[in-house]
Amino acid sequence: MTLTIAINTLREALRKKTLHVLIGLGLLVMLILPAIPTTDEPDAQVKMMLVIFFQVVVLLCITGVIFLSATSLPCEIEDRTIYGILSKPIARQKVVMGKMLGFALLSAMLLAIFGLLNMVVIQRLASNLPEEYRGIVKARTGFAASQFDIQGKLHHTREGIAWVEGGRAGIARWTFSGLRKNPANKAIFEAEFNLKIESSRGFADTIPLFVSVEDANRHQWKTEVLPARADKPFIVKLGAEGVQENSILHITVFPVHPADYIGVTAKDVKMFSVQKGFVTNYAKAVVVTFLKFLLIVVIAVMGSTYLSAPVSIVSAFVVFLCGHTLEYIKDFSLLIQCHDMHEHALPAMLKKPNTLLVYMDYLLKKPLEWISFVLPDFKRFDSLKFLLKGIDIPLETVGVSFGYTALYAGICLFISAIIFKKREFF
Amino acid sequence: MNNYAVRTEGLTKVYRDFWRRKSSSALTNLNLTVERGEIFGLLGPNGSGKTTTVKLLLGLLFPTSGKSWLLGNPSSDLTVKRKIGFLPEESYLYKFLNAEEILDFYAKLFDIPKKERKRRVDSLIKDVGLIPYRKRPLSQYSKGMLRRIGLAQAIINDPELVILDEPTSGLDPIGSREMKDLILEFKRQGKTVVLCSHLLADVQDICDRIAILNKGVLQVMGGVKELLSQRDVIEFMVKNLSEIDIQAVKSFIEERNGDVVSINHPSSTLEELFVNIIQHHR
Ligand SMILES: Nc1ncnc2c1ncn2[C@@H]1O[C@H](COP(=O)(O)OP(=O)(O)OP(=O)(O)O)[C@@H](O)[C@H]1O
Ligand SMILES: [Mg+2]
Repeated sequence: MTLTIAINTLREALRKKTLHVLIGLGLLVMLILPAIPTTDEPDAQVKMMLVIFFQVVVLLCITGVIFLSATSLPCEIEDRTIYGILSKPIARQKVVMGKMLGFALLSAMLLAIFGLLNMVVIQRLASNLPEEYRGIVKARTGFAASQFDIQGKLHHTREGIAWVEGGRAGIARWTFSGLRKNPANKAIFEAEFNLKIESSRGFADTIPLFVSVEDANRHQWKTEVLPARADKPFIVKLGAEGVQENSILHITVFPVHPADYIGVTAKDVKMFSVQKGFVTNYAKAVVVTFLKFLLIVVIAVMGSTYLSAPVSIVSAFVVFLCGHTLEYIKDFSLLIQCHDMHEHALPAMLKKPNTLLVYMDYLLKKPLEWISFVLPDFKRFDSLKFLLKGIDIPLETVGVSFGYTALYAGICLFISAIIFKKREFF
Repeated sequence: MNNYAVRTEGLTKVYRDFWRRKSSSALTNLNLTVERGEIFGLLGPNGSGKTTTVKLLLGLLFPTSGKSWLLGNPSSDLTVKRKIGFLPEESYLYKFLNAEEILDFYAKLFDIPKKERKRRVDSLIKDVGLIPYRKRPLSQYSKGMLRRIGLAQAIINDPELVILDEPTSGLDPIGSREMKDLILEFKRQGKTVVLCSHLLADVQDICDRIAILNKGVLQVMGGVKELLSQRDVIEFMVKNLSEIDIQAVKSFIEERNGDVVSINHPSSTLEELFVNIIQHHR
């Protein structure tokens, strides 16, 4: 019965002009935006497609879905078509559930259509990519260094970053172990370097770096001199043989030139195992995005059990926007909390003694804390950042998003059912 | 004792506005009983509380006080709705569906299996005379056609109790006549019909019992025959009698101290005339 309502809801949405316009717009965006010239990096086009789908098209679809789901129940109540449903033997909470399910189905459909289309385009673009740029269409799993030390002279430390002078004065060393847990897994490995560089030879965009990778157990090593750029990480490929089951890898780096410096931390070199799992990874990203849709649908329908159509739309959008700026809301409430302890952390306007500050705690901080506690955290569902770096989305991330959505949606459903049960239909 | 089709006890509804201030009392202390198998007319002028009563029975509104039972169960009971059909006052239907789809949708809400659903939808579309329009979206239907679909959805579950709120509104004379015939057919099938209307002529023909509401208060309730019969008036209906014989009968009655109020040729109603003409030209 819930499904009957859901299918009818879906059918209504699919026959709406709003949705046709939306789908048309989505297709247009996917056709036109890729034609905009990008940087000459070969993989820029692929990145562009990813951004277009996961930000532009998804936002467009979410707007449409919020619009439809927030108005669905109020319109049924306004048009009195709800009489036809509620005079049948169906529990009211099932009507609410049916609405939510219907729009979840709609979201899934939209994501499937646009997601597949986008995937096809990306695969075609990627097939023309040169090998060294195909990282974007792979799924990598990152490993942090188990040990990090500076051998020789440490020039100075500033804000947690250790600076090493070139010409073998000091050497930065990262150690990795336990990289290949399963010997049958033939994944290749690569190291990604994300160093800060400086030079006293005047302004330098690139400096030559001495990089060596040594397998301590096997006494094998490879050394290279690589040009390091200030703004872009560089990658050293180790291949499948480079990392064995018991390998302990030492990666050492120093600037070749004595007047050059590198700034390093433990996190600046990462090891990645590379799989060809782009499609799976992309699917995971779409699933996580779907969870985001699900959450906003549940919230929009919850609001619509009580509010009229326009108010319901507005409030769903407000929750959606605030859910994205949750960090700022949290930060702001923290800022207020800290005003007496760390006065310098406050903007200048708040520094002066102000009677309002005394009340601020109760007027702003407490409400803000509550808001940030109650609001859904949509930032959780950002999977684009993984795809853009070609990083495999950890299953835990998917699982946690799933759990979060289930919990949040469950509570919302419960509240909606209670509200809707109490409603009268004039 | 609770074997009535409908029973209400002290049913009262006060509409309140957003601030919970009283805005109107639509129904006051209504005690209603509808026997199983009868056609019951709920009458009253506009705004007398007929629709309010029906909505209370169906649980669309909650009573301010009082209770109601349908087919022996409290009207809030979900399962009892399986045996109830409802035609709202106006046709509130999904305009984006066509006739087949909407009937199928409502049938699904009763968990009717697929085969049976198809059979019922087909036969109902035929019964309400919409076969040529079955694939047309309801947004392109006329008011009367919508009414017909509304009626079809009300009886899709073969209900024991049918609640019809102004069923003939928007119907053409043939439609009204068919509706009346249909209601009588319901009675033959043993269904109970509750009919809201302020068209007394319609009701008079078909109802067994009626209740009249005014401003939310029950005025009278009882059998139509008892309520309408004037015990001291007798009407003879005679065919093929000459003028002289009529005079003779008249003087015979006057001899026995009876007053002749009127002697008329019974006329058919305008509705009958209209129906006859239209059906003749089909
Ligand atoms: N939502 C509402 N809010 C306030 N008052 C209402 C509301 N709905 C109905 N009423 C009032 O309740 C009373 C009964 O209305 P109801 O719709 O039951 O009348 P009705 O007998 O069905 O009339 P009609 O023959 O016109 O259909 C009227 O006075 C009406 O103004
Ligand atoms: Mg009415």
